[in-house]
Amino acid sequence: MSEREAYVGQPRPRREDHRLLAGLARYVDDIKVTGALHAAFLRSPHGHARIVSIDVTAALELPGVVTVVTGEDLAEDVTDLTVAPPIEGLRPTSMPVMPVDRVRFQGDLVACVVAADRYVAEEAMERIVVEYAELPAVSDMFAALRDDSVLVDEALGTNLVARRVHRAGDPEARLAAAPRVIEAEFHQQRQTHAPIETRGCIAQWDPGREHLTLVIGSQVPHPLRTQIVRRLGLRDSQVSVSSPDVGGSFGQKIALYREELAICALARRLGRPVRWKEDRMENLLAACHAREQWCRTRAAVDDTGRILGLTLEMVEDFGAYCFYPANYISEVVGIILTAQYGIADYGYEIRVALTNKCGVGPMRAPMAMASWVMEGTLDVIARRLGLDPAEVRRRNMLADQALPYAMPGGETLLDVNCAETMETALDEIGYAAHRPHDDGRYLYGLGLCNVVESTTYGSRFYKNSGIGGSGHEAARIIVEPDGTVSASVGMAAAGQGYETTFAQVVADGVGVRPDDVAVTLGHSDTSPYGMGSRGGRGATAGGGALYLCAAEVRAHLLRLAAHRLGLNATDGLGLRDGRIVWVRAGGSEETGLDVADLARTAYFDPLALPEGMRPGLEFYRTYDPPPMTFSNSTHACRVRIARETGRLEILDYLVVENCGTVINPLVVHGQQAGAVAMGLSGTLLENVVYDQAGRNLSATFADYTIATVADIPAIRIIARATPSSRTPLGLKGMAEGGVMGAIGAVANAVNDALSVVGAQVTCLPLTPMRLHAAIHDGIGRAAQGQEG
Amino acid sequence: MIISLTVNGEVRDVAVEPHYLLSDVLRDRLDLTATHVGCEQGICGACTVLVDGQPARACLLFAVQMEGHAVTTLEGGAPSVELRALRAAFHTHHAQQCGFCTPGILMTFAAYLRDHPDCDEAGVRAVLGGNLCRCTGYGPIVRAIMAASAALREVADV
Ligand code: FES
Ligand code: FES
Repeated sequence: MSEREAYVGQPRPRREDHRLLAGLARYVDDIKVTGALHAAFLRSPHGHARIVSIDVTAALELPGVVTVVTGEDLAEDVTDLTVAPPIEGLRPTSMPVMPVDRVRFQGDLVACVVAADRYVAEEAMERIVVEYAELPAVSDMFAALRDDSVLVDEALGTNLVARRVHRAGDPEARLAAAPRVIEAEFHQQRQTHAPIETRGCIAQWDPGREHLTLVIGSQVPHPLRTQIVRRLGLRDSQVSVSSPDVGGSFGQKIALYREELAICALARRLGRPVRWKEDRMENLLAACHAREQWCRTRAAVDDTGRILGLTLEMVEDFGAYCFYPANYISEVVGIILTAQYGIADYGYEIRVALTNKCGVGPMRAPMAMASWVMEGTLDVIARRLGLDPAEVRRRNMLADQALPYAMPGGETLLDVNCAETMETALDEIGYAAHRPHDDGRYLYGLGLCNVVESTTYGSRFYKNSGIGGSGHEAARIIVEPDGTVSASVGMAAAGQGYETTFAQVVADGVGVRPDDVAVTLGHSDTSPYGMGSRGGRGATAGGGALYLCAAEVRAHLLRLAAHRLGLNATDGLGLRDGRIVWVRAGGSEETGLDVADLARTAYFDPLALPEGMRPGLEFYRTYDPPPMTFSNSTHACRVRIARETGRLEILDYLVVENCGTVINPLVVHGQQAGAVAMGLSGTLLENVVYDQAGRNLSATFADYTIATVADIPAIRIIARATPSSRTPLGLKGMAEGGVMGAIGAVANAVNDALSVVGAQVTCLPLTPMRLHAAIHDGIGRAAQGQEG
Repeated sequence: MIISLTVNGEVRDVAVEPHYLLSDVLRDRLDLTATHVGCEQGICGACTVLVDGQPARACLLFAVQMEGHAVTTLEGGAPSVELRALRAAFHTHHAQQCGFCTPGILMTFAAYLRDHPDCDEAGVRAVLGGNLCRCTGYGPIVRAIMAASAALREVADV
């Protein structure tokens, strides 16, 4: 459609940077609203308790306090959230905006104070007297699934909120008939997103217009608006959601949380602006957690390491409340597990448990565990059979000619080059010369992790998986009267650099310079209704919609130009950097017209338009991507573990990646390195810890440690990209695969090193304590890789 | 109570309560919102400002302690040569994604590069250990600081 891609592919520094570096960015808490009141939430100190009584008298007496509300008060204004999509094996759940008589986790909401400022609100909070009757809590997902467990949600009658089973072929028959059955276990700890900017919002109710405006750092302004409208009994036209600069989200800023909804309800009730800023302890305790999953694979194998059949058993801890359908995160692990390996007989069983802990949601690469489980299983097979791990991968890997391949999980794999990324990684990491060894002080290991990253989910995926919702995205482009191109899409950035990269896409699609493209995002009134930013869909869904829309703009402008030039057809005309040109072999020739001339005609001289062309230059286009697009990569690393201390060092880390067409290498590299860093941080350090009574022991940054510069090694990234055959510009997406690969590569390297002393680890994080115990106490020794 | 302090070169009189944090007073009373608050516990470093030219965590200081002192924030009057070099290098090296951690890092290293014109990467890494960034993985930040340091040395040599 365009003659050439001039700007897509350029490593352009970001236009967002200026305001961030000058201190002129505007995050939610930087936005002043005259007369705004401040809210603070009183939270449960118990993991599980009945609320006997709440006495707010003393709090109300404090000067500056405007109101104090409880769950009972707010229930009048707000309907419950019911999560009940028609998915087999998923039990419907329901929750009020704030608990009325029972708190289900430490940090659960009890009351909300609204006062003149935050200091007063917090002081008033301390004056609220709550009588609790403490109840036994269940903080372990396996215990929660036992018949005699305490119930987290009594209305459910069980803690098993979802159970999903899938079968392709006959894996059980394969296991029964196989020469060998090899089992492997994997246990990923609970983590949380911990964006450096915590949550927060400002709600304003305009009583005259009966209109609510919510300023909030959100990844998904329109779906969030839909939620608000439903819960508050308003109409779409009565709510505006505006997401300004966002200080990181990583999946935490998708759901409409109870605090935010309460602030909206209070603003409406009081007729005054109300704002809330979460503190770090609240964020770590009660915002949203993620990733607590256990998996066991059973592989039927022959003596060459070929997998003849595979089953996955998975248990996930979903916490106390469901903000999402409870099968949704684990299900994707089940769907994509087999990745680029040809395994026809495959089945999974997923069980999701409620516990007395913070609710969970997707965190950057919610399906991250899939790569570790698959690649870890292959390593266990190799060790059990005394085979080379890379060779076992080769023997199971699909040949390029086998693509597109109907994966046993139900999706279609195509446009990946896994053998190429793996072989390149093996060369680069020095695989041939490596043997796990022990020099007396250190154990040395090498780990490999092939990753197939599901990046963009189209509507067909949601329909097939029963999850509901749409995967489409919407773009709007306006050529303004002065020729500026204003572009928007329904996504909201939190550091991804969309303003820069989308300008490159639109520039190429229309045929103008990026500097002439303004990208405005994040406001539900000015952006078209789209599904927002999640997963790796930014480039493919957002960029794709914009590129297709831009192509329509270009065609329209060329028709107008042809008419102005007295031509019947646009043949031979092109748009280059905003100028209409004659396209000639070996170059182009000016026509003297540019986009600004055409815009003037379209807006101010409509009688000069061709027959049938309407005045104005506004364009709208939606795009529904393929059911699932895939990027792929191979991660490889070399590590050493100090025998004395269990300290792990990463000596070399590299990624060979294929994320399709790259819009901006600088931005893509930043996203990939950032994803690897988040994966490493989770693998090595992060851990949300609860005790048996459901008390959270990790609600400060001193206890919930995320990686500092000292924890992240140099990350080498080597591109082996091939475009997608099915998306505009060949875009695929990325930004999550780094997390997936990091977990698997490091865990596999550690087990390679530990194999020297006959030990293995199956639980994350890989702290010095855990590794020391594995080396010296035999903990975890032989726990991995039992033969059944 | 009224305190008097110098903020970005201007003397300001501000009404505060004794328990008000410097970070809150800068942001809420003086509208200087470049100073970000990420933990209020002295761990993340997002709130770093200069107090009498030295980096300090605004969330760990009470505003009343600033009586008679000079506070510099990222909005700062005329930016120092170090800050200008850092901004240019952070842009070129894509050293910020969401940008929330960035002001604290810029303030920390504006002072560090001023005091350590011959710094090496190990020194930069040791200091950067006091700032959390959840987006970048730190690599581009280290590269940007080293580039800014090199650029400053070039200017000094001319
Ligand atoms: S807000 Fe001051 S160190 Fe985090
Ligand atoms: S750039 Fe987002 S926290 Fe550093």
